[in-house]
Amino acid sequence: METRLLKKSQLLSFIAGLMEQQAVFAPVKNGDFTQFQQINQADELDLESTHNTRYPPKALFQPQSEPLFEFRDGKFVSLLGEIQPRIIFGIRPCDVHALQLLDTVFNAEGAQDPYWLAKREKTTIITLGCEQPCSTCFCTSVGGSPFDRRGSDLLLTNMGDYFAFEVVTERGNALVQSMPVAADGQANDVKDMQTKAEASFPKAFDPTGIRDKLYQLFSSNYWKKMQESCLGCGVCTYLCPTCFCFDIVDEKQRNQRVRNWDTCMFRVYSQEASGHNPRPTKLERTRQRIMHKYAYWLDNINEIGCTGCGRCVRYCPVNLDIRWMIQTAQNWVEA
Amino acid sequence: MEHNQNLYEPIPMRIARVIQETNDGTLKSFELVFENPQDKDQFYSNYNVGQFCQLSIFGKGEAPFGIANAAWEGDFVRFTVQKMGSFTQAIHKMKAGDAIGMRGPLGNGFPVDEWHGKNLVIIGGGCAFSTLYALTKHVLHPPIRPQYNEMHVIYGARTSGMCIYKEDIASWYGRDDLKIYQAIDCPEDGWCYYTGFVPVVTKQIAPSPVNAVAVLCGPPAMVKYTLPVLTELGFAPDQIFTSLEKRMKCGVGKCGRCNIGPKYVCKHGPVFSLAELQELPEEL
Amino acid sequence: MNNVLTAIQNEARRILQEGIVDVVVGFEAGTLQLKAQPFFMHKADDVDKLVWNGFCQNNLATYLTRLDKQQRIGIICRGCDSRAVRTLVMEHQYDREKLYLIGVPCTGIVDWRAVQRQTGEDILSAEEIGDEIVIATPQKKWKFSRAEMLHDSCKRCAHPNPVGVDITIGELLPEGDPQQAFTRTREFELKSAEDRYAYFQVEAERCIRCYACREACPMCYCSECFVDYTTPRWAESMITPSGTQAWHIIRAFHQAGRCVSCGACERACPMDIKMTYLTDKLNRDMLDLYGFDVGENDDKQPPFAAFSLDDRDRFVK
Repeated sequence: METRLLKKSQLLSFIAGLMEQQAVFAPVKNGDFTQFQQINQADELDLESTHNTRYPPKALFQPQSEPLFEFRDGKFVSLLGEIQPRIIFGIRPCDVHALQLLDTVFNAEGAQDPYWLAKREKTTIITLGCEQPCSTCFCTSVGGSPFDRRGSDLLLTNMGDYFAFEVVTERGNALVQSMPVAADGQANDVKDMQTKAEASFPKAFDPTGIRDKLYQLFSSNYWKKMQESCLGCGVCTYLCPTCFCFDIVDEKQRNQRVRNWDTCMFRVYSQEASGHNPRPTKLERTRQRIMHKYAYWLDNINEIGCTGCGRCVRYCPVNLDIRWMIQTAQNWVEA
Repeated sequence: MEHNQNLYEPIPMRIARVIQETNDGTLKSFELVFENPQDKDQFYSNYNVGQFCQLSIFGKGEAPFGIANAAWEGDFVRFTVQKMGSFTQAIHKMKAGDAIGMRGPLGNGFPVDEWHGKNLVIIGGGCAFSTLYALTKHVLHPPIRPQYNEMHVIYGARTSGMCIYKEDIASWYGRDDLKIYQAIDCPEDGWCYYTGFVPVVTKQIAPSPVNAVAVLCGPPAMVKYTLPVLTELGFAPDQIFTSLEKRMKCGVGKCGRCNIGPKYVCKHGPVFSLAELQELPEEL
Repeated sequence: MNNVLTAIQNEARRILQEGIVDVVVGFEAGTLQLKAQPFFMHKADDVDKLVWNGFCQNNLATYLTRLDKQQRIGIICRGCDSRAVRTLVMEHQYDREKLYLIGVPCTGIVDWRAVQRQTGEDILSAEEIGDEIVIATPQKKWKFSRAEMLHDSCKRCAHPNPVGVDITIGELLPEGDPQQAFTRTREFELKSAEDRYAYFQVEAERCIRCYACREACPMCYCSECFVDYTTPRWAESMITPSGTQAWHIIRAFHQAGRCVSCGACERACPMDIKMTYLTDKLNRDMLDLYGFDVGENDDKQPPFAAFSLDDRDRFVK
């Protein structure tokens, strides 16, 4: 499919045009923060931030708290309402690919999560590629890239005084018909920019064979070392765009059965009524998180369950760096 | 209402019968009937012994329970519930006529089709016997019985009072299409069957592994110590099956909580062969 | 700082080599600029990697309730860390005989967020040089006054010197008046109830219930936190004003007379939520009502952990 061009000066009116058709969600700056929010004016959009939002955009599909049912007259009434079509603008390739990974969980054959599916079907994704990495990015180490097209409807490249809109799907195509098509030369410039950018992304580790290595290390001292400084909070899992674990709880005071994000890092996550806990200490829980992302995901769909967005690296209160953990695993020799 | 459309929506059920299984009141069986006939048809068209359901009480949440009856027994679904935590305490307070929600059948169930022509060695302990009871009842059904060879059922409870399905099991002694061996932990006046823990009793009885499968369900300790006994008797890992328990929420392989390695106990299990378990990380 | 670091390393090596402790808890260099990581030294060789600087932002006392209680543990403590250890020992969470505390007077923790707010994200290097912090980003070099870039709690800190330690390394610093820690609290109190609530609402709204604040805090060690209870349901786990505000308020109350005002909670929070204004208020009340300054000595029990017959009981009419 083609590449179309938009002068930077015309971006806001393009966004305003989109807003007339559908709700637009984009990164919005609020103090120190950038967060995906519905914008009411085109100029609320913030694409200046050189790094990703803290809170992951997966929340737009799996809200942190989502009432599933209301309990009315002794019956469970679904609260899945009509989802209005919407556009997410300015999401990064790492977060978009994460949504595809989550699709394999929520949109599995024979077991489709209606709440997830309804939102996915009504959402158009306009992705902004990354021309430079920030200190915590490592998408290229986990099979991704800063201009990864997978899962996008349109992929934007910032070319300085204009944006290149690469059309990936028909849905994306429909939005850019009024833009001029890029000439061959221009399309090549875009390609060059992307190649250069990708090359500038540092390799944090070599993931080859990580699944086997982690299984080998299952009972080794490697985990004793890895879990030492972990506090067992939920920062890494809640900011992670590929984490999907949830809890279902009845909130009687609201008459609702609600789904909330949950985390394998908390002790009560796997605590059984009998008192038995298959993951009784931090060691088992740290091991579960890392093995899930870098071994079990590979077992199930042959892809690493981490897209290198770097949020866990940046916001871990004790700077427990997953890149260091994987590198250490690859090099670990049991004493 | 199309319940199959929403994975998380409980099917409306009504409690038809409550059976006090043990004298101390900690174990009760509940027989549930369907409010909607299409739910019933849907359920039985998918049901396979060894599966479980999530029972649902608003305000108390949900919990998984093995289905304790075979399809031919009637248009009800039986669960045997041990009073443990807040959910089971709530269900124990319920009476015939009360409404309750159910999601299921969930999980894989026993691979009964793979066992045709084989000897079945069924070993259960405590209230984990419920799905094994369903399996036994399934096989005892006259049209189904000829598909299998010998059937040996070893069932251990802490005391004679703690045995579940007492009446039905008592009637098994008179049958010639199965051999029942009951055990209790400590000697009791008037008890004429086996005494001792299930692993020890299994060793005594020494079922043959030839053309046989062993199906094992019980508290973690019982399973842990019975597995080596079976191995010693000559059962290969792909001849031994067990049903695992885990804390569950969604029951359909989405919330992530019940995993062992890459497998979800609610979706790929709860029934696993020892061969499959040996490939999974040690995190029971 | 270098002499202090060498002295700390020597002491850490000594207590490991002489078998006085099984492990020493300190910090090693972080993987990101302006950060350091908690580090557990099991052998004397490990000590080579020990660092000690203004980027060591965690209260190491939080690990005391996570480690095997039979182990003998060495911890490197600043003022607030040592008061936390003292309070934990008073609450019978660890046997003082099994601890070896290396005290280091503290010149404050650098707030990495304050630095990044000025320089933007791409920090290539960060160094503490004398009274300044020198930062290099791809475009330029920056110099900041260290004092201005300290974390809020450190700016107000009245107790930089470690207490109840086995050895002190480094020059003692002037202690402040405990009341100075509460200057901000006093300003806040002067606001109207509506303004105070509005501030609280805005801060709490960002909360994602990750409980990093709870885990970073040395005083939060309950094996079952009140938020995990379903019977009774103290706070809903949904992200709602009701649930989140209940979380913040109740946690603050559980800290009354125990919180050492280290600010580790705020530094751990991924959403930059301010919380010490709540615990500072409760601690100020402890000081005003009961004359109690957290961790001031080994005998005085926190007011809410003990009672005496002559306690004030004006609330009983």
